[in-house]
Amino acid sequence: MNLLDIRNLSIKLLSAQTPILAVDRVSLTMKEGEVRGLVGESGSGKSLLAQAIVGVLDDKWQVDADRFHWRGIDLMRLSIDERKAIISKDVAMIFQEPMACLDPTTTIGEQLEEAVADDQLTGYFWQKKQQRTLAAANLLHKVGIKHHEVCIKSYPHQLTEALCQRVMIAMALARRPLLLIADEPTAAMESTNQGQIFRLLASLNQLKNMSILLISHDLENVTHWTNTITVMYSGQFVEAGTTQHIFNQPYHPYTRALVDSSPKANMQIPKKSRLMTLPGSIPILQHLPIGCRLGPRCPKAQKACVEAPKVKNYHGHQVSCHYSLKGSY
Amino acid sequence: MLLFTLRRFNLFLFTMVLLTILSFSLSFLFPGEQITNISGKINASPESIELIALHYGKHESILSQYWIYLNHLFKGDWGLSMTSQLPILDEIYNHLPATIELTISALFIAMIVGIPIGFIAAINHRKKSDDLILSFAMIGYSIPIFWLGLLAILIFSIQLGWLPSAGQISLLYEIKQITGIQFIDILLSDSPYKWQAFQDASSHILLPSCVVALAPATIFIRLARTSMLNVLETHYIKAAMAKGLTFRQIIYRHAIRNAMVNVIRDVGLQFANLVTLAMVTEVIFSWPGIGRWLIESIYQRDYTAIQGGLLALSCFIFLVHIFTDFVYATLNPLAREKNRGSR
Repeated sequence: MNLLDIRNLSIKLLSAQTPILAVDRVSLTMKEGEVRGLVGESGSGKSLLAQAIVGVLDDKWQVDADRFHWRGIDLMRLSIDERKAIISKDVAMIFQEPMACLDPTTTIGEQLEEAVADDQLTGYFWQKKQQRTLAAANLLHKVGIKHHEVCIKSYPHQLTEALCQRVMIAMALARRPLLLIADEPTAAMESTNQGQIFRLLASLNQLKNMSILLISHDLENVTHWTNTITVMYSGQFVEAGTTQHIFNQPYHPYTRALVDSSPKANMQIPKKSRLMTLPGSIPILQHLPIGCRLGPRCPKAQKACVEAPKVKNYHGHQVSCHYSLKGSY
Repeated sequence: MLLFTLRRFNLFLFTMVLLTILSFSLSFLFPGEQITNISGKINASPESIELIALHYGKHESILSQYWIYLNHLFKGDWGLSMTSQLPILDEIYNHLPATIELTISALFIAMIVGIPIGFIAAINHRKKSDDLILSFAMIGYSIPIFWLGLLAILIFSIQLGWLPSAGQISLLYEIKQITGIQFIDILLSDSPYKWQAFQDASSHILLPSCVVALAPATIFIRLARTSMLNVLETHYIKAAMAKGLTFRQIIYRHAIRNAMVNVIRDVGLQFANLVTLAMVTEVIFSWPGIGRWLIESIYQRDYTAIQGGLLALSCFIFLVHIFTDFVYATLNPLAREKNRGSR
């Protein structure tokens, strides 16, 4: 059974004039124990999608979906409070810029302790305080922080970014979630710290069978750590499939360009030649093209691309393009 | 924290130096003889004037005159009041505590009323209650205080007769002055009518302090509202939401403390404004405070009193400012120490 099954999720920005469709009918499925990458350029609506799943978007945004199932429960039929209760119990999220996501005036220990759910504690209320402290220390050990006494007494500004991200992961683990959504967890981090965070996430996936939705703009890095990948562009679904398929045989011209644009160490390129890139840049929300939003930049675009393509499924490898590259392999 | 304290102490020192320079130069700038202005001895014979001039180092350079003036200040010799011929320091000691009582109670009323209302407005942002609170704050801010004071007396003292309109305490009660702060004196006294006196003093302070508190309260409403709105949009509130905390928990545990940090920082600045309002209110309510005394001294051209009162009042404002800075530092760990990067 699918853990998370989202079909045609749209997110509208309610602005003064006409509402802007920031995310246009994106589908996403997660299986238990799966690590899925969600890849796209900055501004392609990945973070929006993640925040919509967790339900932390404010009332400027309106979320619609044809289907939004969590372990077989139809969340769209439930009231907001019931949905929030289910989601906050089983889904946790970590954000980019971990230091900004920790309350600057509260110590790490207090913030960790309040993340521990009440139903994990036993006994009377005077025993609970001690249990919470113990649980906080255990959580810090789980994410590889050995000196928990120092860490618990610190304020967020006294720790490094990587440590803060570990603390964020520890907080996310406090509710023993089935799904962890990691929104660019290593943005603005050194590569050694990046590796540590990714290894930690991978070990959590293997040891606790926790599913992870890894959001990133860096396709190459994501391929090391994920089983499956979903690609988005400008709020539209592009392609989804196993990591091998996406990386080696992408069907969509955009994914092809994304793979080609990442330079490799063994690449033979003549001096002063240009690296392969798509012309132009991602459209801003106020001027979205009609139909397939990649249209103006796409090397394969033809007349039919003014109509948004339907998603085609080739043995689990889904692609949304009129002129997919399937025949070229 | 030690560094923070030292820095504040340093600031206090420099501000005091500047204030004493101002007060010293005022004695030259006011009309009349400088020696008379600084000592307050009018109608002195030429011989005694010569003696006072020697006492204040009139024949030496201006710097050593200033130094002698400072010595006088520290010895507690602030000159005599030109009108009453009493020592200025005694006058200040008699009048300042009443003002401290009035301003501190007004500040607390303004904070206790203003800040929670501002938070409520921010939580109900873009709803009717938010608009209502904002318009109330706007009206409250634009009402002139002398008019409001008279109106309050008219309604609550004369028409309804609930509260007394003038003075600090009814003349029936005789309270011996120990600390100067009347409420403490009442509690320290062994009069059998202690609690009645306490009640009477509270009913006297209620009306003037509410009048003083109105304008600062409206400022606190707006400060608290903007600060809370900013906090509610931060990432850590969003992260706390994703963590599964309820809205109530988020507000009480994270939002209020962070929003308070920004409000407290501005309380010190607002206090100077509040003291100005209190001076006007003291005149209206015949409150025996330093503000009324100072305004009367201005009317009577009592230059020594103006210098001394200015010095004492600004010293008091500055001390409160520093105190709020310390409260700010205890609330905000970022203010206590330098950031890692800036070291």
